[in-house]
Amino acid sequence: MSGAFRRAPVAYWPFVAALGGVALVATFASLAIGYVHLDLAAALSDIAHGRQSLPALVLVELRLPRAALGAVVGFSLGLAGAALQGLLRNPLADPGVIGVSGGAAFGAVAVFYSGLAGAFALAMPLGGVAGAVVAALLLYALAGRGAGTMTLILAGVTVNSFSGALTALALNLSPNPYAAYEIVFWLMGSLADRSLPQLWLALPLTLVGWALLLTSAPALDALSLGEDTAASLGFDLRRLRAQLVAGTALAVGAAVAVTGAIGFVGLIAPHLLRPWVGHRPGRLLLVSGFGGAIILLLADLAVRLIPVHPELKLGVATALIGAPLLYGLIDRMRREA
Amino acid sequence: MAKSLFGALVAPRIPFPRKGGRGVRACMHLLAAVALLASPAFAKPQRVVSINMCMDELVLRLADRDAIASVTWLSQDPRNANMAEAAKGLPANNGLAEEALSFHPDLVLAGPFTERSTIALLGQVGAPVVEFGVPETFDDVRRQIREVAAVLGEPERGEALVADVDRRLARISVDANPSPLKAIILRPNGFTVGPGSLVDEILRRAGMTNLAARLDVGAYQQIPLERLALLDADVLIVDSEGFEAPSLATEALSHPIVAALSRRMKVVALPSRLWTCAGPALVDAVRRLAEATADVEAGELRK
Repeated sequence: MSGAFRRAPVAYWPFVAALGGVALVATFASLAIGYVHLDLAAALSDIAHGRQSLPALVLVELRLPRAALGAVVGFSLGLAGAALQGLLRNPLADPGVIGVSGGAAFGAVAVFYSGLAGAFALAMPLGGVAGAVVAALLLYALAGRGAGTMTLILAGVTVNSFSGALTALALNLSPNPYAAYEIVFWLMGSLADRSLPQLWLALPLTLVGWALLLTSAPALDALSLGEDTAASLGFDLRRLRAQLVAGTALAVGAAVAVTGAIGFVGLIAPHLLRPWVGHRPGRLLLVSGFGGAIILLLADLAVRLIPVHPELKLGVATALIGAPLLYGLIDRMRREA
Repeated sequence: MAKSLFGALVAPRIPFPRKGGRGVRACMHLLAAVALLASPAFAKPQRVVSINMCMDELVLRLADRDAIASVTWLSQDPRNANMAEAAKGLPANNGLAEEALSFHPDLVLAGPFTERSTIALLGQVGAPVVEFGVPETFDDVRRQIREVAAVLGEPERGEALVADVDRRLARISVDANPSPLKAIILRPNGFTVGPGSLVDEILRRAGMTNLAARLDVGAYQQIPLERLALLDADVLIVDSEGFEAPSLATEALSHPIVAALSRRMKVVALPSRLWTCAGPALVDAVRRLAEATADVEAGELRK
């Protein structure tokens, strides 16, 4: 897979800073652009003067959580994709494709419809994290230790369809007769009408997840040389695996619990950025995070601007971009093999 | 992968009105059924099965209790249905052909969202099925009550029910409001109800005008909260008092911005059971909204 593009690696930190800057601009664009025109200057001055005008309310209660969640969730998905690809040493590992998002969705749905979510506020994100942990562990048991692409994808299909079945079961057992209907929309993934409390709930778990993933960079670089080499360099592989699984589960689980399963971002971002960082999995982490944030924010802008009614779901938009890419990637790997 | 699998597993039967065609088809079915039943006099069906929640209510109001073989499970829940008290103790069905047939019905009443295959199956085995559409005006409501009463062989009760609706509706006389309040509806899943639905007429009779008419939304469409907030309505009608069971659908209703908006406009809670089906409960919906109109006019909350 590495033979396709070879690009002279650019200077790392300036590149990170540039991507971070673009992500920031995209976040502001997401604040400024919406379904309706909003007089930003008036809204900001109302906020500054503590006036609860309609534009101020819309900016704070609707646009802000949407833009911030877009950036945070996109970062989580891109970062988790890059980390999983490093761990499994396979470019097809995406939280959505291999079933981590599906597991998280089941965890969140089970917590929500069992009524636990009403019991304490963090229940739903924690449910998502628990589901993601189980899915990641199952996956690692099936496809860890340098298994081939085929095994990884098959394991992903299994985990995905099993968590899909369990989600359906949870809905069947739900006392709410419209549960199945509303969850279909939710599973498509969306940032529409999210609220600040949801952001505050997801953020702490997400930040812990990011820390775990980002600090694994040196070990991931070593791992790209092979497990034995990495071990001989003094990296504890068992600890690395635990760290990556926990980090992915925290970041993706918290994201999915708030936005539903948004697929393919974790596949697209590392794929596009890998050549820029000299194919080093450790360096790919941070840039993929920013890349994921940019992709998700742009996709979310697109679903708001494309005049399709009812509005296109975010997960549908990312799948429309991501699925052909996955197809092309598999095709190329097959030809190179 | 998971998504397509999931879609197949839980393909939704969308529980909201769609426009067009239905009414006409319902009438055709009705004519056929009436022709069948209209031998010398209406033979009163003795084993009526309803496989639609709205039909449940009319059957429970119009038919002799002894003549009702089964109503749907939805009608046994008081949060869902107006006649839950009466429905209790009657055998419940889930709207499946096999269940309906197990009661050896001499009349099956179906609604617009009954699965096509169920209707076809019932027709194949010769069970007399009558389908009804979604009423879009109060005239449709009166007609539907009379039609259901006719197939149940209880035309007088139908007339009495219509007269009761009209009498109570006449008492709420705000329909000539010269400057109606601007209202917008927020239902679970962020849906709003547009023009061309019964709800539109309910609002008009309560002295309100539906702001959804200004948006390019159909009879029933999702509306982003952002757009809803900036409409600057006088009245926000939310569909609350719904299920106590956890529901993602009602998350939008508990969004902090709805609470913030409630300080700027009148928020009226209107449970969907009052305005989903043709029946006397519609008058209660009009009354609640008319009271809200009066409150706003008295409190000068309007803009």
